[in-house]
Amino acid sequence: MTEAPADIEKITASVEALKADFEDHSYICSDQIATAVYLAYHLRKPILIEGPPGVGKTELAKTTAEMFELPLIRLQCYEGLDEAKAIYEWKYGKQLLYIQVLKEALGEVLQGAKGFAQSVSRLHEFGDIFFSEEFLEPRPLLKALKEEDGCVLLIDEVDKSDHEFESLLLEMLSEFQVSIPEIGTVKATREPPIVFLTSNNAREISDALKRRCLHLYIPFPDVEMEQRIIHARVPEIPPKLRKQLVNFIQELRDLDLKKVPAISETIDWARTLLLLHTESLDPQLVRDTLNVILKFQEDIENVDAEISTLTSKAMK
Amino acid sequence: MDRTLANFIRALRNSEVRISTAETLDAFNAVELVGYKDRAFLKRSLSIVLPKTADEKETFDNCFDQFFSIDDIRGETESAAADADEEHGDAEGGDGEGGGAGGDPDQQSRGANAASNNKKKKSKGALSAAEEAEEPDLGPGEMSEAASNLGQLLLLDSRVELTVAMAAAGEAVDLIEIQVFTQKGLYTRRIMEQMGLVDLNREISTLRDSDRVPDRRLGQELRRRRDWLREQIRDYVEKQFLLHADASGKRLREELLRKVKLSNVEHRSFRLIQEIVYKMAKRLSSLHSRRKKVFKRGQLNITRTLRKNMSYDGAIFDLQWKSVKIDRPKVFAICDVSGSVANYARFMLMFLYSLEDVMPKVRSFAFSSDLAEVTDLFDRNSIEDAIAKTLRDYGGGSTDYGQALQDFKKLCLDDIDNRTTIIILGDARNNYGDPRTDIMKELYDRCKRLIWLNPEPRSSWTVGDAEMRKYTAYCHQADECNSLMHLERVVGNLLRSVN
Repeated sequence: MTEAPADIEKITASVEALKADFEDHSYICSDQIATAVYLAYHLRKPILIEGPPGVGKTELAKTTAEMFELPLIRLQCYEGLDEAKAIYEWKYGKQLLYIQVLKEALGEVLQGAKGFAQSVSRLHEFGDIFFSEEFLEPRPLLKALKEEDGCVLLIDEVDKSDHEFESLLLEMLSEFQVSIPEIGTVKATREPPIVFLTSNNAREISDALKRRCLHLYIPFPDVEMEQRIIHARVPEIPPKLRKQLVNFIQELRDLDLKKVPAISETIDWARTLLLLHTESLDPQLVRDTLNVILKFQEDIENVDAEISTLTSKAMK
Repeated sequence: MDRTLANFIRALRNSEVRISTAETLDAFNAVELVGYKDRAFLKRSLSIVLPKTADEKETFDNCFDQFFSIDDIRGETESAAADADEEHGDAEGGDGEGGGAGGDPDQQSRGANAASNNKKKKSKGALSAAEEAEEPDLGPGEMSEAASNLGQLLLLDSRVELTVAMAAAGEAVDLIEIQVFTQKGLYTRRIMEQMGLVDLNREISTLRDSDRVPDRRLGQELRRRRDWLREQIRDYVEKQFLLHADASGKRLREELLRKVKLSNVEHRSFRLIQEIVYKMAKRLSSLHSRRKKVFKRGQLNITRTLRKNMSYDGAIFDLQWKSVKIDRPKVFAICDVSGSVANYARFMLMFLYSLEDVMPKVRSFAFSSDLAEVTDLFDRNSIEDAIAKTLRDYGGGSTDYGQALQDFKKLCLDDIDNRTTIIILGDARNNYGDPRTDIMKELYDRCKRLIWLNPEPRSSWTVGDAEMRKYTAYCHQADECNSLMHLERVVGNLLRSVN
């Protein structure tokens, strides 16, 4: 862990090195993805990742953290998320408790003070102790800034949050700092965090936020890539079956479905087939395990009729 | 270097990728890091920094390919090596041709041309003698260093750097100002000269006369590459022409269409108009669609209230409410689709349709004499279908505003309250029927705003069977609206008051 910074230097020396390292951590990525991480690290810019669900947006952040041996701090966005949960909050309980405990000490402090003005001025000498770092409960964003050796900050599904929260992020993303009225501005330590934002495009992200980020779009992978991914994630699966199931999924993606299967579904399916000791795809087996890859009854019914054609196509 | 990138960004903006100054700076930083050497890498990097939606990424890909396109120099030279003899002959011819094309409008370049051509002529005798004495192609082997800048650049084999130099030269001769197709020859010539053609030619002819084999080999190589470069520059100029002149042409057309009266727009421009309307709607909606979250009243949100008031020692005085959405349409739009406004009806409906996109709650109505709601129809169909269906079902009849207002009152007077905006699109030509201003007054009293948009110019509002004068009395606002510019202004004002 102590030589982590040096490691990062080496890993980020070139896009190729990055890519190779990602593969070592069984994350198969395209040049585009590796370039994005490379730029994000060197330009110190957050990356906004968009793409259909299940193509490995969150996984990218997790793998990056693993690779750089940095802690991963995750902020899951949802409607109604506000600064108290994202940036910081005061430890009210602790404040109250301390006040109770210190009530007695107060007498000593104020001993000998003449008049109200003098007492107040004596109290002023102590400053705002109750609103100091001691009583501050850091939430993910603040925590990420305070991490000494840098960290990977994942702001997941930012499209689920409100407009207001997006604006809240702007300061953090462009300056790597947050302002706390009672304390002042907290800046990132030596190493600013590497920030990943993911979005499923539930709504359009504002231009202001987009402007501050690099933008990476991860599409569904092609056949060759998906095979490599399956190989990396489910190494036990025989090559023949791997080829068949990837072909099948690729065929499926061309159909008009409510929710097309993503990489995560392919992986799940590969694991399922492995568990069933499958040697090769056949229509009956596909029919039985279809609910692993398709998540809507409507889709399953639609595909059901075409299973044999699809299977025979995939077997080629 | 940097001007190339700036030009590229300009070209991107021309193709409607929105790039802010901050992003431009990012791009500069990225290029500094990545360099121009590896084209694919540069493309990947810039595609992460500049375009920010999937659509824009596609545009970016096309744009990048056009802007930084240049064939692989290696492949070209190899094939060139195969028929070197032929190439030599061609080079002479090509040179003369280039000189002729570039010469006529530009005195200076003519002088330079003449000089270089003279030099060539002088050396030609020597060359042919030399060539007969030795093999036409010296093949690969030891080569001297090129002396001139352009020569060195050509031998570098880096097509991106060459493109950069080309772009810089293009910038120097104001290639961006290219406007007509016929200027291409002129600009090609100018760019060649800007890049140092004269020096290169001089070097080539000196090398040709040299006694050393490596020198002569270099001379041959340079000639080949020079000719290749000329081709590249011609391509480059053509693409730049498409990139810049074409885009500004489109903008010009759009600008024109915005001002022209909607009834005069030719049929073939409909698609473009639709595009403009959609763009307009989108821009307006992004400007105005701010979601409001905090409401004054509603159900008490207990957890939130407690949390919020913890900092006040648990004394609850800052109450938090659960948000309540008010489920009431805010805009009622009524569109006249009768015969008298047949020319406009299409655009009115287009406007109505985009209005539904832009504003949160719109209910749309169409009428010629009898009025009906078309909100659902608009929701379910694409813009073309919706408009066609509306025109088929309701369009073409003779106008009866009295009847339409009567129907409207019956349908939804109860839904109109002091937060409702009513928009009426029509020419108010009532065929001398009863205008039913009493209903107008009723509507006027109940709603927040009543806006009348009339496609006819103000001067004809009172002519003939137009009842506009009577109606105007009961409108908060009555405007002429017959071009996209009007439309944009009106919608902009509207959104400001609605939201």
